[in-house]
Amino acid sequence: MKILTVQNLCKTYGKGEARVDALKNVSFSLEKGEFAAVVGESGSGKSTLLNCIGALDTPTSGEVRMDGQNLFSMGEEKRTIFRRRNIGFIFQSFQLVSELNVEQNIIFPLLLDYKKPNPDAVQEILELLGLTSRRNHLPNQLSGGQQQRVAIGRALITKPKLILADEPTGNLDSKNSRDVMELLTQASRHYQQTILMITHNRNLTASVDRVFQVADGVLTDLGGEANETLS
Amino acid sequence: MKHFLDLIPISAKVHRKQNRMSILCIILSVFLVTTIFGMADMFIRSQILQAQRDDGSWHIGLRNISAENAALMVARPDIAVISPYGTLNFGANLGYTMGGKEAVIFGSEEALVTKIFPDMLTEGAYPQAEGGALVTENAREMMGLHIGDEVTLNTPDGTSLHYQITGFVGNSSGLMRSDAYGIFLCMEDYRAIYPDVAEGEPSDFDIMYYVQFSHTRDIQGNIKNLKSAFQLSDGQVSENTKLLGLLGQSRDSFMMFIYAAAGILFVLVMSAGILMIASSLNSNVAQRMEFFGLMRCIGSTPRQVMRMVRREALGWCRFAIPAGVALGVVVIWVLCAILRYLSPGYFAAMPVFGLSLPSVAAGVLVGLLTVMLAARSPAKRAAKVSPLAAVSGSAGEARPVRSAANTQLAKVDTALGIHHAVSSWKNYLLMTGSFALSIVLFLSFSVTVDFMRHALTPLQPWTPDLSIVSPDRTCSVDSALLERLNEIPAVKAAYGRMFAYGVPISGSSAVQTADLISYDTTQFDWAEDYLLEGSLEAAQQAAGTGLVVKESDSTIKVGDTITILADGTLQEIEIVGILSDCPFSNAAGVGLIICSEDSFRQMTGLTDFTVIDIQLVRGASDSEVSAIHQMVGTQYTFSDERLGNSSTRGIYYCFNLFVYGFLVLIALITIFNVVNSIAMSVASRTKQYGAFRAIGLSTRQLSKMVIAEAGAYALSGSVAGTVLGLLTNRLLFAMLIGQKWGEPWGIPWSELGVILLILLFSVALAVYGPIKRIHSMTIVDTICAQ
Repeated sequence: MKILTVQNLCKTYGKGEARVDALKNVSFSLEKGEFAAVVGESGSGKSTLLNCIGALDTPTSGEVRMDGQNLFSMGEEKRTIFRRRNIGFIFQSFQLVSELNVEQNIIFPLLLDYKKPNPDAVQEILELLGLTSRRNHLPNQLSGGQQQRVAIGRALITKPKLILADEPTGNLDSKNSRDVMELLTQASRHYQQTILMITHNRNLTASVDRVFQVADGVLTDLGGEANETLS
Repeated sequence: MKHFLDLIPISAKVHRKQNRMSILCIILSVFLVTTIFGMADMFIRSQILQAQRDDGSWHIGLRNISAENAALMVARPDIAVISPYGTLNFGANLGYTMGGKEAVIFGSEEALVTKIFPDMLTEGAYPQAEGGALVTENAREMMGLHIGDEVTLNTPDGTSLHYQITGFVGNSSGLMRSDAYGIFLCMEDYRAIYPDVAEGEPSDFDIMYYVQFSHTRDIQGNIKNLKSAFQLSDGQVSENTKLLGLLGQSRDSFMMFIYAAAGILFVLVMSAGILMIASSLNSNVAQRMEFFGLMRCIGSTPRQVMRMVRREALGWCRFAIPAGVALGVVVIWVLCAILRYLSPGYFAAMPVFGLSLPSVAAGVLVGLLTVMLAARSPAKRAAKVSPLAAVSGSAGEARPVRSAANTQLAKVDTALGIHHAVSSWKNYLLMTGSFALSIVLFLSFSVTVDFMRHALTPLQPWTPDLSIVSPDRTCSVDSALLERLNEIPAVKAAYGRMFAYGVPISGSSAVQTADLISYDTTQFDWAEDYLLEGSLEAAQQAAGTGLVVKESDSTIKVGDTITILADGTLQEIEIVGILSDCPFSNAAGVGLIICSEDSFRQMTGLTDFTVIDIQLVRGASDSEVSAIHQMVGTQYTFSDERLGNSSTRGIYYCFNLFVYGFLVLIALITIFNVVNSIAMSVASRTKQYGAFRAIGLSTRQLSKMVIAEAGAYALSGSVAGTVLGLLTNRLLFAMLIGQKWGEPWGIPWSELGVILLILLFSVALAVYGPIKRIHSMTIVDTICAQ
């Protein structure tokens, strides 16, 4: 079952001589439960691709369909609501809400939807993340690895169709990086969660199902076998 | 780059947008101070001009001093001018006449028209020798006089004295009101004409000496010296309170209250400036903590960071202070131009491009000092940023969070908005203080509107331009005249009143006599604002009913019946209403009863009026007034109050312009301040809002978050501002109005409503701009915003 379909996605910045084609006719799709990684050099267009898929940025042309729905045919308000219900984000710099504690940060997308969180589900995620004892702590009272785990919890809480992770281990040491990757893999396996992760660290692709490479705005599907080769 | 401080202009280029807001704040503060001080300076200047013109350019008047002492005083270096001034027939009722009208006789010297009243002489010169005279313009016009003509002054004992006219002087409002001419003689002629005194001291001739001091710096010191040198008692020295008050030299208790009130307003304006700049700098530095952390990382000492912040703030002053001062000066020019246009007769002497040095100095000083003071705290904060925090990225957070937002009480967007507002107490206090101060300023300055209304009583709806008055204050002005007057096109309205003075009454323990006054429909309408209880309709429609004007010691209530002795019989009046005030004064222990014309006629049997007041149409000419005068005839006193009204109107325009100018300025500053503060707060959180949007915060929720934050500031600011504003309003009211007029203070609901509405409007305006800007940005741009 296809969760994400990207077709002929283009993103261009600037005009004339300053024109930069960050994405050139990118097309691919992801199946439910697939854990994919996008690798590429710095400035290759990885983050632009993620931003466009996550509707954080508007593509110049092309389509992004999530579960059959074209993200950019929706109005801003509808798209935001769709995004918070169907896409979870994990950022390199965590982007936690400093004014909310661990538990509040995790349930934040539900609160934005004015939904009452299920305490069992919250407890389950806290346990999965190993943050039960820290549920009332503020982000500035946590280590980087803990903060990223909170961010993962926040991405998981709505049980989204897709999680987009932008360099989730970029700010972490190797141990915490390993932990985060394990958590993501576990989520993918345990919850049948589709994940698209961006990374410049090819070592992290060992545990993913599929690998894409972006170079100069062009996406190449290296597939699962290439993944094995790479790892 | 040769010095680390050279980084400032480079950084300024990058942070141009944030800096622009801080610069705007400094401009606004300097503008506020310059304009308010400049307006006050120009107001005082205009009032000094007007006071000198209306009441003379004298500082003190001396009575009962010998001619010898007066001659000695002239030689004193601290005295510029001393001029004798005697009046005879001041009340225009002793029978000194000229051209068939009462003449008021003045005795003085040339200095009176050249130094004390420099605008008084309209043509010619003061009589240098006996036999010469100056006469007033109204005599010139009515008697067709020219310089060199002879004028005859008839004294009550039947003597006719002849004088040759050497010039003319302007009419005074007092003379016009009394329907009399004025004649100015030299001292010898004045003494000669003064009845029953042949030889004697000046006091025997009712002569006062006007004294103008050489310098106005220490007039009270000069008065003290003069008193001790000539052994003058307090009773001999009278101050020109208005002029000395305006010169800041009065020791009059009411003026001292006015100075104290001005001092309070000064401190408030200064505080507004300081708060605005402090909150702006605080916000600006908070947004760049990461940058300062980076500086610390590279090797800057905390001292260097502080220097940098201060130098940066001073750099803004280089542009902002001159800009604020220039803006203030231009606004003052515009106000002066309006003043000259509104009342050219009084304010023609105001400079076209006048520069108020005290206001410019105050603007510059306040700007510089405030920026230096306001920069201290953010500079310290910036210097405290640890290099580690900068490396870890946590320095980017505007304020360290100590407690989590309460998402139980409100929805998460609202809860976060409120938390943003209250999470940093310092910022919250600054913002609340800044909002509150706007309310305090508005409520404080609004007292001056009440002050103006009390101080300028003649400008009431019933103020007449002309009055036809019974010479013996009886009901002797033909009532048929009223109809004829109302038919004249130049007459806008004419209304008569009948007076029965000192009517014995019973039924009230406090007063035994009362003045009975009749009102027509128009006058009853005017009385509506003063009705404390009861009904005006009943007094107008039912015969034998009346209204009483409230007296502090009176026990009369609505429904009481008072018996009066009128027309030789005892008559009953039922009191159907109580008025707080009326346009007439009454002697102590004498009540005021107002009734309809029918009731008055029925009770007294009198039918004619005591006074007919006339209001003229706008632009009515002197010839039209002369025609009315001729129609009325000479059997009544024709009181022309246009000159006095025009003087009051001049002051009124001036006061209005400044008072409402201040209020508009405060309202504008409130709007700018609120808009700027919210914009800065939103700008400092743009990145965070971007992250929220990425997580799934919709634009509507973002709006709610910003509105909640702004609303929290507005709510606490409104509460604090209302409480403090009402307290200062009450204090200033007591100082400016309560002390002088004894009026009780009441909550100024309308003023409070206006400023709260302005604040609400400002908040709406303030959230609209930033929300719209964030809406138009993509989430990626918002996250990356600097």
